[in-house]
Order: sequence, then structure tokens, then C-alpha cells
Amino acid sequence: MAFDLTPLDLFDPSSYPTRRNEEWKYSDLARVLREVPSRAVLTHLQAATGDFGGFYWHCAGDGQLGDLQAAVAKANGRLYLDLSDVGAEGVVAGYQGEGRITLGVGEHLILLEDYSGALDYAANTTLHFELAKGASLTRVVILDEPEGAVSVRRSTVKTAPGSAFKQYVFSTGAKFQRFETHVEHAGHGAHVEMHGAYLLKDTAHFDYTTRVNHAEIDGTTEQLIKGLVKDRATAVFQGRIYVEKGADGTDARMRHQALMLNDGAHVRAKPELEIYADDVQCAHGNTIGALDEAALFFCQSRGMPEDTARAMLMQAFVVPVAEQIEDEALREMVLNWIEDKAGGFYAL
Amino acid sequence: MLSIENLTVFVDTKTILKGLNLNVPAGEVHAIMGPNGAGKSTLGYTLAGRPNYEVAQGAVDFNGEDLLEMEVHERAAAGLYLSFQYPLEIPGVPALTFIRTALNAQRKLRGEDEMSAPEFLKTTRELAKTLKIDMDMLKRPLNVGFSGGEKKRMEVLQMALLKPKFLILDETDSGLDIDALKVVSDGVNALRAPDRGMLVITHYQRLLDHIKPDRIHILVDGKIVHSGGPELALELEAHGYDRYLGEAA
Repeated sequence: MAFDLTPLDLFDPSSYPTRRNEEWKYSDLARVLREVPSRAVLTHLQAATGDFGGFYWHCAGDGQLGDLQAAVAKANGRLYLDLSDVGAEGVVAGYQGEGRITLGVGEHLILLEDYSGALDYAANTTLHFELAKGASLTRVVILDEPEGAVSVRRSTVKTAPGSAFKQYVFSTGAKFQRFETHVEHAGHGAHVEMHGAYLLKDTAHFDYTTRVNHAEIDGTTEQLIKGLVKDRATAVFQGRIYVEKGADGTDARMRHQALMLNDGAHVRAKPELEIYADDVQCAHGNTIGALDEAALFFCQSRGMPEDTARAMLMQAFVVPVAEQIEDEALREMVLNWIEDKAGGFYAL
Repeated sequence: MLSIENLTVFVDTKTILKGLNLNVPAGEVHAIMGPNGAGKSTLGYTLAGRPNYEVAQGAVDFNGEDLLEMEVHERAAAGLYLSFQYPLEIPGVPALTFIRTALNAQRKLRGEDEMSAPEFLKTTRELAKTLKIDMDMLKRPLNVGFSGGEKKRMEVLQMALLKPKFLILDETDSGLDIDALKVVSDGVNALRAPDRGMLVITHYQRLLDHIKPDRIHILVDGKIVHSGGPELALELEAHGYDRYLGEAA
């Protein structure tokens, strides 16, 4: 089965999806990109390669994603993919690119993707991953983009029997930010995890769209997405798990939990299970609520000022996503990042 | 130490406490007993400052300060500790982190230095041992998946670490088996001190066998209707609250 990605060319406005496209109903790119960006070469924040906290550091700004496989070969299992760019005032410059990473039989890769930058830009990047039998890819994505950025980050993942794909996405949103992952699940012991956490404020927009297609027997999928939304920010979660006829023994679970911290914040959640096989276990859960006032009082009654208690509870809400990261150094890095970002949520 | 005068409290539109008077001097342990719905827990929540517990009239003096004027966390820093009947679960926050955050927030407000991590760990480890709390449990999110007994032991650990001047124990015996009751009571008794007061809220005389009060007050329909010595608990156990229900009417 081919991956179903909406054709998109940043430099051809006729390709911009609108709300009329069901897949883009909550993320209207055409409305945000009123002006077509010019093709631009952006400045990398750190145009260097070398070591980044035990990772092989590879800069791939401007969508220059062509030589990723060479970087993987040098990375010794730990690759830091630096996609930080410095744009300009206003979304006038844009870039797009595609990259490909293939992991051979039994190969393992921990990939840290860093999308942070400054000023404004439009970006459209696509990464293609292919995992051979028994291969494993752990992908941690930090979407810490500037508030003026318009970005569409998409990926396709082809798994093989016995392989494992684990994805953890952490986002603070942008003017427009969409992160799409399409997975072709090979079953036969293959395991897929696609988690995420978002902390959105002001007018940030973050769209996490995931598609998993179980075509074969005995595949497992797990998803936990948690987020905080305040001010006038918008979170979109669209998760679809599709189980083809005959894909028996599939075990797929999807959970999305959001906290809305004030009126005016938006959460659009569309979890979907489409099941054509008979013998499967599938579940999805979706909850949207406010901060637990009883827990807040409990913390305050032990001496924490309200803002400290709120920050602690908010941070605690999203932390479980990061705590699932097995690699300790990476987990600590992400936990620190969350602590830093949750600080911006103190005051209401 | 804690002096409550004519306290009237409503929750939503319902008046729960109706002119309650109570005085607990330093060094004494007082018990509040009463039937369901008398307002026992409301008293605890009001003193701690829970939102939606509106004080219509009355005054509460805590060591010369107007308690009702203080924010919730200021009451804690001033030395008031409410032990919840049902301690809340705080997912994502390890117990150690929770307690240390609370302790240092209190210290900061009092203008004291923060307790360093090594000192905090050492003190906690010693106290946890006496309360039969495993250090691994303290690394888990506070109260999440803990048994009733574990939650109450965790409450006592927090009391012992935060060293409040005044303790309000709301139905601390609920959800405890005999062994856990003993551990928890021993923990509370260890905190009895000439400069510390306690208010023990309970349904049953059972807890008062372990934590012996100096005075017992009977709360019925939002008012203290009778006060007496420790012998009152036995009388209540034998005869129930019936004879006091009339007095409130």
C-alpha cells in the first residue's frame, strides 16, 4: 500500500490544502500561507558537525536532507539531526526537501531531530524511514520552532517483521505547525509507538496527525499523546489506526489527553479506528479537561504557592510521555526541555 | 494557639458550620467527634482555606494571626497542616519531589534557607524507616496506586518533615487496618510536643485509643454541643450520638 500524503509544493499555491480537504479541516494551510514564499537558502544556527552530547551532529537546515544515509553511517547508532534555521521577518522565505534513512537487518538508531530556529520561515520537509527485519528506530523530535514559522513536517515509515519504531514528538507549536507520520505496519512481531506531548500558548497551532496501517497479523501499536493548551492556542490531534482484513492478532491502543487551561483555547481531536479484521484488540481514549482543582488545593495546603503548584501539575501532566523514553540521557534532555517550557505556563 | 469564634461557613448555598466555637491551646490534643454530615470535614477544609468554603462570619486566631486572611499556602507556612481523609493522587510528581517542593516553598516564605538535596534525602530516609516506607515508594508519583495505609503513612511522613505547629487530622483512621493504624498513630504521637497543637477529627473511638486526646468535642449540625475529657469517647461508643442530636435542634 502506498502512503497517502497530500501533494504539497510550497512554491505552488494551487497545491495548498484547504479546510475543504477533510484531512486538513482543522489546519488550513491555504489561509495561513497567503503569500507564496520565495525559494531561499536560510542561515543555519550552528553550521557545524561534530559531537552533540554523545550524538553525531549533522546539520540539515534548508531542507538539505539528501545525504542522511551517510550521516547515519557515521553516527554509530546516535544521530542528532539539526534542522534549526534562521528565517527573516515575516514568512517571506521558504524551503522544502526530502530525506531518506534506511536501517538494515538488526540495525539500531536513536535519532534526535531538532527543529528550532529563529524568526519566520515556511518549511515543508519529508523524511522517509525504512526498517529491515529486527531493526529499531527511536525517534525523538523537538519541535521548538519560532512563533512566526509555518511548517509542515511529514514522514513515512515502512516497518518489517520484528522491527520496532518508537516516536516521541514534543512541540510548542508555531504560527502553523503540522507533524504527520504515516506508518506501514509489517506486523509479525513488529512494534510501533507514536507518542507526543505539546505545550501551546498565545496563538500557537500544532497539528499531530498519525496514520498507522496494519496490513499483516500480530502487529502492535501504542500511542499516548498529552498536551496543555492556553490562551488562544490550538491543538489538533488526528490519529487513525487502520486494520486491514486478515490482520488478526493486531493490538493497537491510542490515548489522547489534553488540558485546556482557559476559555478560548482550542483542542480538536479526531481519533479513528477502522477495523476490518476479526480477531483484534483495539482501543482509543480521548479526554479533554481542566486542571484538577482538588489536586491544586492539596498542593497549596502543603505550602506551595498557587503558581508553583499549577506549574508542577501542568508539567506532571505531560511528563509521562517523556518518561517512556528508554535512553536515559535523551530522557533527561527532554525532561529538562519540558521543565523549561512549562515555566512559561505559570501565570494564567 | 488555635482559637475559633462563632464560625459560620457555607458551601454553595448550604450553611454547614453554624457559629462554632473552639479553643485548642498549644501542647494539647483535641478530638472532634460527630455524626455524618455534622460539618467535621468542613471545619478542616475551612481552616486550610479550601476555595468554595465561604466564611459568612466568625474569626480564627492562629498564634496571634488572623488565619482567615491568609492564602492557603501562607497558612501552611505559618504552621497549619491538614491531613486529608483521602489524600490526593498526584500523577507525574514523585513523592520526594512533591515533599521537597512543599518544604522549600514554606521555608522560602518564612525567609529561611532551602533544605539542600543531601540533607533532605538523609532526613527523609531516617523518617521513612520508622514509618516503614520503602525509599522506592518515595520515587513513585505521590499516592498513585498506593494502598489506603500507604497514603496515610505518606501523610505522616509529610507531617514529620514539614514540622507544622498545628495538625488537623481528618479521619486519619479511615482505610487503615490494625497494623497500619498503629504505625500511623505512633507517627502522630511522636509529633506530640508542648509547642504543637492537634485537632483529631474522627467518627470512632478506635483512633482515640491510639492518639489519646486531652479534650473531646461533640460536633452536631455545625456546632459544638458538648465538650469533655477523654472519657467522653467511651460514653459515645456505648450510647451513640442520639442524646446530643436533640441538643442541636
